[in-house]
Amino acid sequence: MKRVLTVDDSASVRQMVCFTLQKAGYEVAEAVDGKDGIAKAGNGKFDLIITDLNMPNVDGIQLITAVRKLPGYAFVPILMLSTESQAEKKDAGRKAGATGWIVKPFNAEQLVAVVQRLVK
Amino acid sequence: MSSTTNTIASGGLESARRDLQWLLRTMEEAIAALVTSFGELTKDTDSILGLASAIVGCVEDESVNAVLPNVQALGAAAKRFVTERLQSTTGILSTVTAETELLSQLSQVTESQASIALKIKILNVHTKIEVAHLGTVGAGFDYLARELADFSRALTLSTDELTRHTNQHRSANEKTQSVLSVELPHLREQLAAVEFSLMGALDVLDSGLTRLFQAPAQFKRSAEEIAAQIAGVVVAVQGHDITRQQLEHVQQAFDVITSKLDSKQALTTGSDSEVASGHAGLSIQISQLSAIRETITEWASQIQSCVGSIFRISASELVGVGPLVLEQEESMSAQLFNIDSLERECKSYGEKLRSTLNGISNLSELVKEHIQKSESARNRLRLLTFNSVVEASHLGEKADAICVIADGIAEVSVEWSKISEHSGAALQEILSLSDRINGVIKTFSRASNEDLQKAQDKTSTGLKNLRSAASFAVMQGKRIETVTDAMWTKSKEIERSSQMLNTCFDRIDSVVSVLESMKLDLETDDAGVRQRYDEAEIERLYSASYTTQAEREVLRSALSGTVFSGMSQYATGNSVELF
Repeated sequence: MKRVLTVDDSASVRQMVCFTLQKAGYEVAEAVDGKDGIAKAGNGKFDLIITDLNMPNVDGIQLITAVRKLPGYAFVPILMLSTESQAEKKDAGRKAGATGWIVKPFNAEQLVAVVQRLVK
Repeated sequence: MSSTTNTIASGGLESARRDLQWLLRTMEEAIAALVTSFGELTKDTDSILGLASAIVGCVEDESVNAVLPNVQALGAAAKRFVTERLQSTTGILSTVTAETELLSQLSQVTESQASIALKIKILNVHTKIEVAHLGTVGAGFDYLARELADFSRALTLSTDELTRHTNQHRSANEKTQSVLSVELPHLREQLAAVEFSLMGALDVLDSGLTRLFQAPAQFKRSAEEIAAQIAGVVVAVQGHDITRQQLEHVQQAFDVITSKLDSKQALTTGSDSEVASGHAGLSIQISQLSAIRETITEWASQIQSCVGSIFRISASELVGVGPLVLEQEESMSAQLFNIDSLERECKSYGEKLRSTLNGISNLSELVKEHIQKSESARNRLRLLTFNSVVEASHLGEKADAICVIADGIAEVSVEWSKISEHSGAALQEILSLSDRINGVIKTFSRASNEDLQKAQDKTSTGLKNLRSAASFAVMQGKRIETVTDAMWTKSKEIERSSQMLNTCFDRIDSVVSVLESMKLDLETDDAGVRQRYDEAEIERLYSASYTTQAEREVLRSALSGTVFSGMSQYATGNSVELF
């Protein structure tokens, strides 16, 4: 079973990502902020990461930068899930190594479709 | 601006901030409870969809799908079966009645034959007397006397046999006629009743199966609706995260507003633009809170609608379709049983008619044989007449009496020919009757029911499959009901969460009311405050912490004095933009 890590300081958003992807047959782990996300990514192998942008301790951009340096994560897809939709923020995400950007709230069906495509 | 107004403003904002903090805690609590209940509810929904999907699988099974055409074929075959037999039964009584008349005619023939046999016997006696008178001269006529004696004996035997058979057959025929006259109307009634009830059962089954076959499409629609509703709830719950941020931003804006409306600062700077910024801040926060209210309304409605959809599938026809079809299958099986017993009854009628036909066949054989014998007898009689006349002419006057006998033989021969013709006509009628009865028997016999038999077999198998499918659907339906019962408890919890969200509206309204009142005070003090808005500066001031496009759009609407009503556009959720 493919493994997905969801990183968000909002419990309800994490629960919705888990709910959506578990229904689609993925194993989903949760991290409460960027710091927790980096630790969990380092301790396990994930096929895809979905991360929030604005989080306490370590934000989404910092998380991507750190995760990309972890062994085996250079090409793992990372999606940013944020309320932000400004072009400069997206650009910062892309430069840090994000694979894609989703403006909250996400559409469950489309998220599953993209995840399926990315972890195929 | 008066210092009193500023004091009221800072007090009002402090009270509004407390209200918003309460709102954040309450929403957090409501959403946490809702997410838990919703997660459990969707698991139950998955169970229900799984059970319903199994029902649909059964319905879509090929063998169940074939039931309707098979039953329709059975209906058509049974209708043909009944119609043919109804038509046949109308001819049976008339055939048996015609046979009775024919037997009377045959009795007349046998009576005439008996009389001829007697006449020949008398001629034989006369011949013997004449032979005795003539002495050695009449020795040639001795042969004639013996021939007449043989002929009379043979004719008597043949006539007796025909009479015996005719009587036997008449008795059997009367019995058949009596039975048929009582039972035929009953059979016809039965045939008509079976046809009527079968057609009724077919109609009912047809409508039941039509409903059953609608189940897959209905299920698909329900499943799609639920999937969409669940997706809507997923978006709604995420909406909470956005709302939380918006509420935090509103509270941050309160700090800015307070600083702008601070009397000291306003008096020191003497800047009217500070007041205008504060006024604009109040307008923006009123709009932001209205948008938040709209969002929460959307969630509550989405959640209620989703729960409603989930319960709708539990109450759908899909659950009730099993018992309905089972009931119809029972009624259809009863019809099959009726057809079966009717077939047996028709078969037994066929047997009765077959015995009648056998009697007629025997009789026709006998008459045929009798006619053949008659033909040769008539030829012999003609030969005897000719020989007697020749012999008598040799003897001259001595053989006058023999000439009289020869004339007598000639008369009998003519009479015999007439009777033979009569017998021939009777035979033709017997053969025609035989054909008619044979036709009726064929109609009633098993061999001609092959279509019906095949249709029965196919329907029987189809109904067996339908019964299993319907029983399975009943079982799944019961399970769905059990899961539905469990879901009620969870739906009550969701209801409580929704009610908690509803109480948020009052708080938002109260905060908006405070902000409106403050805004009005400012406008009372300074009528031209709105005209002094520096929009670029205000946007920079209040949107620094904004993270959503919606917040920015609300801000712009507030500044332009329009109402933002685009929150619903976020209800479907956003797609992924891949880099």
